[in-house]
Amino acid sequence: MAQTILQKIVERGHYKFVDHVDTWQEAVKLSTESLAKTGYVDENYYQQIVDCITKYGPYVVFDHYVAMPHSQEGAEGVHKTSVGFMRVKDEVSFGKDEDGEEKVAKLFFTLAAENPSEHMDNMQQLIGIFTNEELLDALMEANTPEDILAAEEKFPPITDDDE
Amino acid sequence: MSKLDNKKFMVCCANGAGSSLMMKMTLQKTLKKLGVTPASLHHCALSEGKSAAVNYDIVFCARNFVGTFADAQKKGTIVLGLRNIMSQPEMEKALKDAGLLD
Repeated sequence: MAQTILQKIVERGHYKFVDHVDTWQEAVKLSTESLAKTGYVDENYYQQIVDCITKYGPYVVFDHYVAMPHSQEGAEGVHKTSVGFMRVKDEVSFGKDEDGEEKVAKLFFTLAAENPSEHMDNMQQLIGIFTNEELLDALMEANTPEDILAAEEKFPPITDDDE
Repeated sequence: MSKLDNKKFMVCCANGAGSSLMMKMTLQKTLKKLGVTPASLHHCALSEGKSAAVNYDIVFCARNFVGTFADAQKKGTIVLGLRNIMSQPEMEKALKDAGLLD
């Protein structure tokens, strides 16, 4: 069995746990920090993501406090493929979408996409995580990388094997 | 035969790298469940999708992007906006509400 994305996140040190962030822009920046430190993305990669969300609205925020900040595939300043995980204790507001629904997040899964097939595999695994509310709840309580792994073990992501 | 067999689908998001991929995977599962065999299933960024949409029968996007496809809609492309792009039930409902299910 290949490593799961959460195992990769832990092994690569692509995680961050914070209590509070004032703005979503700051949160996006912090969520790329572990990726930047390890050379997966340039330090200013976050700016592209911020610009994109500013332009298109908070469509990267999904249900159950999940945000997936990203730019495009093969984006400038992205050198390797990974996902940066960040858990914020207090919810971070991305503002309201066009229907007036406020978009809030506590879990950040920030994409760095350089290698298309690895990225595709990551996305498939992320769907399994994002559609597993028990796992998301456990991740919101995580304070250490060990907690991430324990959460995954307790509530395995829904795999893509059909039916 | 389903009404949706051999239709050309496109899924679109702002960048073509994140949510559109997820939408594509969700759509694949939804269509499989419905027993539909689409002619094609393309995912791309809005910049490409805006002009390409007329070449497709059905376009899925996050609901805030529906307006982008007004031109294609006028020319007959069915554009369906989703609140939760990973929800198979929502996708199925959108297809049903558009009268596309048997």
